[in-house]
Amino acid sequence: MSSPLFKATLKSNWPIALGITLFIMIYISTSISMFNPENAEFIESMLTVMPEGLMKAFGFTNLGTDLTQYLGNYLYGFIFLVFPFIYTSTVANRLIAKHVDRGSMSYLLSTPNTRVKVVTTQAIYLILSTSVIFIILTGIAVAMSTGIWPGLLNIGLFIVLNLVTLAATLVVSGVSFLFSCIFSENRLSLAFGVGVPLLFVVFRMVYSLSEKIDWLKYLTIYTVVDIEKLLDGGPYALYASLILVGITAILYGAAIFIFNKKSLVI
Amino acid sequence: MIEVKNLTQTYRSGKGVFDLNFSIKEGEVFGYLGPNGAGKTTTIRNLLGFTNADSGTVTINGIDCRKDAAKLQGMIGYLPGEMAFLDNMTGIEFLKFMGNMRKTKDIARRDHLIEHMELEPRGKIKKMSKGMKQKLGIITAFMHDPAVYILDEPSSGLDPFMQVKLMDLLREEKSRGKTIMMSSHIFEEVQMICDRAGIIRDGRIAAIEDVHSLNAMKQTHYIVNLAKTSDMLKFTSSDLEAIVLNENKVEISVGENYREMFKLLAECNVTGLESRHQSLEDVFMKYYGEDGKTNE
Repeated sequence: MSSPLFKATLKSNWPIALGITLFIMIYISTSISMFNPENAEFIESMLTVMPEGLMKAFGFTNLGTDLTQYLGNYLYGFIFLVFPFIYTSTVANRLIAKHVDRGSMSYLLSTPNTRVKVVTTQAIYLILSTSVIFIILTGIAVAMSTGIWPGLLNIGLFIVLNLVTLAATLVVSGVSFLFSCIFSENRLSLAFGVGVPLLFVVFRMVYSLSEKIDWLKYLTIYTVVDIEKLLDGGPYALYASLILVGITAILYGAAIFIFNKKSLVI
Repeated sequence: MIEVKNLTQTYRSGKGVFDLNFSIKEGEVFGYLGPNGAGKTTTIRNLLGFTNADSGTVTINGIDCRKDAAKLQGMIGYLPGEMAFLDNMTGIEFLKFMGNMRKTKDIARRDHLIEHMELEPRGKIKKMSKGMKQKLGIITAFMHDPAVYILDEPSSGLDPFMQVKLMDLLREEKSRGKTIMMSSHIFEEVQMICDRAGIIRDGRIAAIEDVHSLNAMKQTHYIVNLAKTSDMLKFTSSDLEAIVLNENKVEISVGENYREMFKLLAECNVTGLESRHQSLEDVFMKYYGEDGKTNE
């Protein structure tokens, strides 16, 4: 890893991370303060008035009277999937493809740093910054929950839920990073780097709507973030994490390999 | 020191370079010339190890430019033809960043160059003029005291005064025994600084020539306005190469025989005399045809 490059990348990309973190933070704090063990059933009965399909798509079908389940269903079925992917897709494109398209990659490579070192540094930045965002948000959610509703949050399960969601987000970041390394044109890198994760989210939202499109769940990585199974405890979380981490490693490995072999017109 | 052997790289457009061969000796200043799209930048991209050639090898000091690019970069000073920096930085931030990427400890040379090239380093690169960006690029290429310079159109965007300063810099590096490869369009620039010049056309080397012998080849063209048409005969019957443009205008080509030209001019009633600009390419092309064979 090249530390001057890491610092420069951090300097030009941290505002995006901050923006996304603040944005999700607002969602977390409103949903935690909205929770009320006494009127949770009331909210649920209110939600039944809404069209069932819509509720299913956003994962609001089983909000539950338990804080952990409530947060799991309310946040991790949609908000914690969409906003992190917007972050990783945008930043993945900026880290490689944008430098190649603009030509500034020629300056990074005209220093005594190998391509592998340059691209690995950028990969580390993407993985690390995404993880930090999750750690901060998990910390804030735990602190707020225990502050407002002491003893109601199952902290262990909540952290497991966040770890698996992070692992799935890292797979998605690997997809965008791979496209950023494959394509030399900014627009192509963005089209695929945003398009494929967007399909993942859409498939995840709609597959449960009808038996006929149930097979879509095999086409999205977010199926692995099965909130019910994760909140059951048990070994599922461990298997899920191992699979996700494995896929992430393969995707980033492929991205680094391809960038190293690629012919750059810069 | 720099060896290009059978280099071929074709782009989908059909352009590229085809079976390119040339070498540059250590301490030599090599001018690389050719029209836009001829393959100059493609050659340079291969020297920097950015592109994968279809076939052939490019080496510096015997080290493969593509496979061991990182090993070579420390000794190369590269100035890209198109400037693309990290825009959100200021000039000095970028220079510091490049210094750190290269692990250059000594900043005295950098600061001296900032002063010499009159760079305003505190401004954001995004807001810099083309000339200021070119200065920043030049300092980036020179500040780590490299052994080899690869410069793509180094004087483009600079005003004449800064061009002179750049020439001073290049002359100094030449006297310190550095190897320089530069592409250029300006005859005087190549004439002043280069030992040899190569011209590339349609992806093929058309000619490689010693600059001293090029100077001998160089002819200056003058357009002479005559008051009397009868004087025209004196030109056409002289030893000077003369082309009649119209009844009072004649174009003459002069090499080293100025004495004869002035004698002739003194005999006539001349109402106007202007020199026609001749690029190095014109000189080359006069002597080397499309196929690279000598016409004379």
